[in-house]
Amino acid sequence: MCQVVEEYPDQLERADLPSVSKKCGKCKEASTAVVIRTADTYCRGCFKEYFVHKFRATLGKNRIIFPGEKVLLAVSGGPSSCAMLNQVQEGLNQNAHKKLRFLPGIIYIDEGCAVNQTVEERQRKVSELQAVFKAAGFPFHIMPLEQVLDLPNSVVVAAPSPSEQLASTYKAAVDHFIQAKRSNDLTAQDQEETSVPYVQESHTQRLQQLIGSAKTLTAREDLLNTLKQHLLVHIARSKGYSKLMLGDNCTRLAVKLLTSISLGRGAQLAQDTGFSDSRYGDIIVVRPMRDYSANEIASYNHMFNVPCVVIPSLNTKTPDRASVHCLTESFVTKLQVDFPSTVSTIYRTSEKLQTAGRSSISTNLCDRCLLCMCTMDTAVEKASAFQATQVSTQLSQAKPTGSKNTGPEQPTASGQCCSGAGTEGCGSGVGCCSSASVKTPDLKSLLCYSCQLTIKDMLSVEHLPAYILSEAQRRLRRFRMREDISEFLLDDGDEGGDV
Amino acid sequence: MPVLCSACTEKRAVLKRPKTGHSLCKECFFWAFEEEVHYTIVAAQLFKPGETVAIAASGGKDSTVLAHVMKLLNERYSYGLKLMLLSVDEGITGYRDDSLETVKRNQEQYELPLKIVSYEELYGWTMDAIVKQVGLKNNCTFCGVFRRQALDRGAIILKVDKICTGHNADDVAETVLMNVLRGDVARLRRCTAISTASEGEGVVPRCKPLKYSYEKEIVLYAYFKKLDYFSTECIYSPNAYRGYARTFLKDLESIRPSSIMDIIHSGENLCVREGVKMPVQGTCKRCGYISSQALCKSCVLLEGLNRGLPKLGIGKHHRLHDKILSQQPLTEKEERKLKSVDF
Amino acid sequence: MAAPIAIHLEFGGGAELLFEGLKEHRVTLPSQLEPWDMKQLLVWIQRNLLKERPELFVQGDSVRPGILVLINDADWELMGELEYQLQDQDNIVFISTLHGG
Repeated sequence: MCQVVEEYPDQLERADLPSVSKKCGKCKEASTAVVIRTADTYCRGCFKEYFVHKFRATLGKNRIIFPGEKVLLAVSGGPSSCAMLNQVQEGLNQNAHKKLRFLPGIIYIDEGCAVNQTVEERQRKVSELQAVFKAAGFPFHIMPLEQVLDLPNSVVVAAPSPSEQLASTYKAAVDHFIQAKRSNDLTAQDQEETSVPYVQESHTQRLQQLIGSAKTLTAREDLLNTLKQHLLVHIARSKGYSKLMLGDNCTRLAVKLLTSISLGRGAQLAQDTGFSDSRYGDIIVVRPMRDYSANEIASYNHMFNVPCVVIPSLNTKTPDRASVHCLTESFVTKLQVDFPSTVSTIYRTSEKLQTAGRSSISTNLCDRCLLCMCTMDTAVEKASAFQATQVSTQLSQAKPTGSKNTGPEQPTASGQCCSGAGTEGCGSGVGCCSSASVKTPDLKSLLCYSCQLTIKDMLSVEHLPAYILSEAQRRLRRFRMREDISEFLLDDGDEGGDV
Repeated sequence: MPVLCSACTEKRAVLKRPKTGHSLCKECFFWAFEEEVHYTIVAAQLFKPGETVAIAASGGKDSTVLAHVMKLLNERYSYGLKLMLLSVDEGITGYRDDSLETVKRNQEQYELPLKIVSYEELYGWTMDAIVKQVGLKNNCTFCGVFRRQALDRGAIILKVDKICTGHNADDVAETVLMNVLRGDVARLRRCTAISTASEGEGVVPRCKPLKYSYEKEIVLYAYFKKLDYFSTECIYSPNAYRGYARTFLKDLESIRPSSIMDIIHSGENLCVREGVKMPVQGTCKRCGYISSQALCKSCVLLEGLNRGLPKLGIGKHHRLHDKILSQQPLTEKEERKLKSVDF
Repeated sequence: MAAPIAIHLEFGGGAELLFEGLKEHRVTLPSQLEPWDMKQLLVWIQRNLLKERPELFVQGDSVRPGILVLINDADWELMGELEYQLQDQDNIVFISTLHGG
């Protein structure tokens, strides 16, 4: 079937061979050093100007970072976040045109434990990065991922955002800042000597056990990202930062957007890939590198000797089909070769999207996913993919009463799995929660669609950090309590049975 | 050691369900598959009692299973629908004429009335003739646009209230991916809708009862039920770009089988930012069919064919619509650009 | 040493087009040291039956995603997929889902 109403004109142009003119397309004088797209050729000087301008323009246009604000840069050692660090350094430079006016700090999370690096390997990488950070001259924090095991519950609770900072107040803040004419130089703050926290071996083991309890690499990557995000937010909060800058570039975000769609995160797409993300309330995540392609960044880093430190990740050296993330990355990369507009087209899609439905400032806890903290997307209408899967699950497992002719009644709203049907109901034990032990809470009802998939791919949730499990218990208790109360509050008009 | 059915816990399972990971025996699978389509029909309120519904039948696996299940559910649950089969003859020798034989057999097997509308009678052009003029590059555009309208015209001749098509979960997920890859936000928003209301004169509401049915299960349903379907690829090569999305989707499914539903869930929950320009639906000034331009796609394509300027409808030539409408001649330069090119 | 085994292969849903349009093939797999499994069968099919465009049938050492495999009328995902050990008189069906609609 060449189906689905094929009325698209075939407007996608294939790659044409670049016809590189020898001269820079901007100054028309110096010879070309970089080709961004076939049309854009730059000499060294113009390329630098273009690159630097783009960074400040992105920040300026979005007016989200206020003068004097403390901003935490998440630096992984990769090219993109290192280029971001470099741009902040440049922008704070005394002589910079359109000087940046915020107070930066750096955070590096050492995830060596997730990829089974030895203590020595981890230390070597950390000291390499320390050198880079010291040279940058900003305060920096180096945290082993193991720290995530000791986070407080508050991490997974969105904090109320401090007074709404509107665009109109931005100008006032700038004026105020300039008038204050701070006597002490911003960049000259003393760099606190942060010693790397000591990692207990038992902590490393516990974290490895947790990551190992995810049966698929897809779930493992998702889990790791979530934990990292929690740790970043916690560090920002506890050290008094109000913005968190991530180094996601355009290529990375195109992959992320397609990955998110494939993982059922459509409702969260705008937050996952947009310029700013306010899901945590008090800490706003910002992605200032999103207008750069990976190629641009690589060229820049190479030409201007921006130091990077290569750190292996969970999916380094894995085959394409090892996880949804790997597959999507290789798909986009290959498509980009044949159709050079692929990345920019996908990326533009992300700019046209916003978070679905209800306002994102909902303060109700149960409206937020316990793990990714996005607005819940599981309270959907009867005719939906989520409900259809629920119906399929019900029809595919043993019925307690054995009556076969009860067509699909209204399926229970959320996450009723194999309720007491025992092991035989779960077939070969795949995809059901049968083995979950008694003391671990059933997290399903507290999670968004996609995080439910991640948990479904885990052997057990008992290795999750305490802050997640105890917050889950708390929410479930509150949920039950509200259920109890609502029974009393209901009138006869509304049958109480199906609450 | 055979795996047992997870529903009846007695018989040998014959398939592993991609949607949920359960294993079912043949009987329980048939039951679950049919009940799920029923649930979809009821939950989305696709039909009203007494309606006449045309099943778009191509002779392929999806529409054959759709016709079978629609007839079965209509009887099992007394929907009170009058069902008929509606086929389009694109005029492709060695492909459509063979598949139409399958549809004719279906007509007898299911005792449903059948109407065939052909491109030749509607447009005066068969696909064979179109390919002769335009070559193999953009022929799928012609076929897709013409088919959409042909179904509507056939439905109006039959006086049906609704058309249901065999689009399955894989098709919907693939379309979501395609629209992301093309940056087409307007279509991205529309493409997961299970039904479309009548958008204007000459457009019959459509729905997809198999929207949540996996292709794997449709094929196995047809196989185990020994349904008669036709499975040859169209001889005029399918769209290459769509092929990329299909391969990606199948690879995704092999990594995480629920991916197809997950993508549909994503599509159902996407929200387009306010202020993003959306095309305004109007009607074609020539034939009255819905169109966001002065002339609908189908009329432009047809005009191009009849004037020997096949590229008229390929790409964007909206500015020429007024000229065409007022029957003004095109300039030589315009003509040269629209002539058929290298193939 | 495993004795030669006779099996029945069936291609459908369009997959037969890669095998000269022939839907049914009765074949005998020669004797070899270890027992035949699906992985080896796929290699054998590629060498002996597949007439054109192997990439449309196999990917890596498995079948291309989108081609369903039934072993004695049951989904091969229930039978151990590539590791399934073939028995004499087994019936193996390959159905493409990628053709027609």
